[in-house]
Amino acid sequence: MIRIISLASFTAVFLLVVPARADELNIYFKTTPNIERLRPYADPATMSLLVTDANGRPLTDGSVTIRLNAPRSGGFFSTDFPWVEGTRLQEMQLDLRRGRANWKYLFPIRGQYRLAVNVSTADGRKESKQFTFNVRENEKKWGTLAAFSTGLFFLGFIAGRVFTSAPKGIVIIVFALLAASGTRADNNSSENDAGAALEVGPARVGQPTLVHWRFKNHIDPAPSRVLLSLAIVHLEKAKTVFEVERIPVPGEFAMNFQFTDGAEYRLVAIGEEAGSTPIRSEKIISASALEPPTKAMIPAFAYFIGLIALGLIAGRWSKRRDTVKREE
Amino acid sequence: MIKLIREGNSVERIINAWLNLVVSEQASFFIKSGIFLFVCGATLFFALGASYPAVHDTLHNVRHALAVVPCH
Repeated sequence: MIRIISLASFTAVFLLVVPARADELNIYFKTTPNIERLRPYADPATMSLLVTDANGRPLTDGSVTIRLNAPRSGGFFSTDFPWVEGTRLQEMQLDLRRGRANWKYLFPIRGQYRLAVNVSTADGRKESKQFTFNVRENEKKWGTLAAFSTGLFFLGFIAGRVFTSAPKGIVIIVFALLAASGTRADNNSSENDAGAALEVGPARVGQPTLVHWRFKNHIDPAPSRVLLSLAIVHLEKAKTVFEVERIPVPGEFAMNFQFTDGAEYRLVAIGEEAGSTPIRSEKIISASALEPPTKAMIPAFAYFIGLIALGLIAGRWSKRRDTVKREE
Repeated sequence: MIKLIREGNSVERIINAWLNLVVSEQASFFIKSGIFLFVCGATLFFALGASYPAVHDTLHNVRHALAVVPCH
């Protein structure tokens, strides 16, 4: 008992005496809506980072470098975007405003994402942290898969009953020849408006693309701070996949961003400088698609054919049982 | 019903004799099931795995809706 008390006293004194490190930085991350409610290609999530000093006060001056990596492949089934699995989705640097950095992002696939955050302060302090979080698949998709699986099973079931006693018939097999489609090539392109330039590298699913925005005065010796709003919209799905609103940038902004679907996207950038009218740049790009790898297809098709085979066996068993009962 | 089954068996016997094929009912089931599975597999692959634009574009949303079928 005495030993326990003395140990507790020592621990209490240690906690009181050892001061918090002056250069310690705390990094907090949250999403809106909560991570549990995030679903792939549903609605964009607002990602928020908060950096505080050892006393819990938001950092007044500093920047964060963000690297977002997609979930690695590993399960039996592939996701619907196999080329995205395990790749870099986003890499950018944002200035902190009252210790915060916010952006919107639309998660493309289910699984565990990794967000690496590196904080740098004006006085040279650095801190890094990695956050991992899981985005669950949309329940509607599981429901659709269950219905489709049931349909395949019953298709096999009916065939199993028919084949067990039906007379021989003629089976016509239609062979479908598959033709490979070419992927669309997209070249480097840039959109120059009166006072700003928005440049996007060749966009291809599975690898990040450089998105670069430049304000008209950025080559001046002392570039002024500009507030940038940048949005990337998936045109087919009519969903915003990325957005930052009025973030302070030093005349230009660059990030690596992966366009996760082979589709068309609209990029809209608005630069605001004190004392002048906002300058809007808009650009539509087409991300090149890649055909899914064969190894990603095999599990799904093996599962579907396996279900039909199970249905065949069940149908045969059902038919034979009925026949035996009838004969009895 | 018994009559129908007998008729069905008679028809099957006639066709077997005509095709000069004599296989057991079990073997017949497996042959038919194999062909059926092949046709189903080819159809599924054509519908959900083909890159042919007309088919792909028509069934693009179905692929994504199934969650486990890869797309681009």
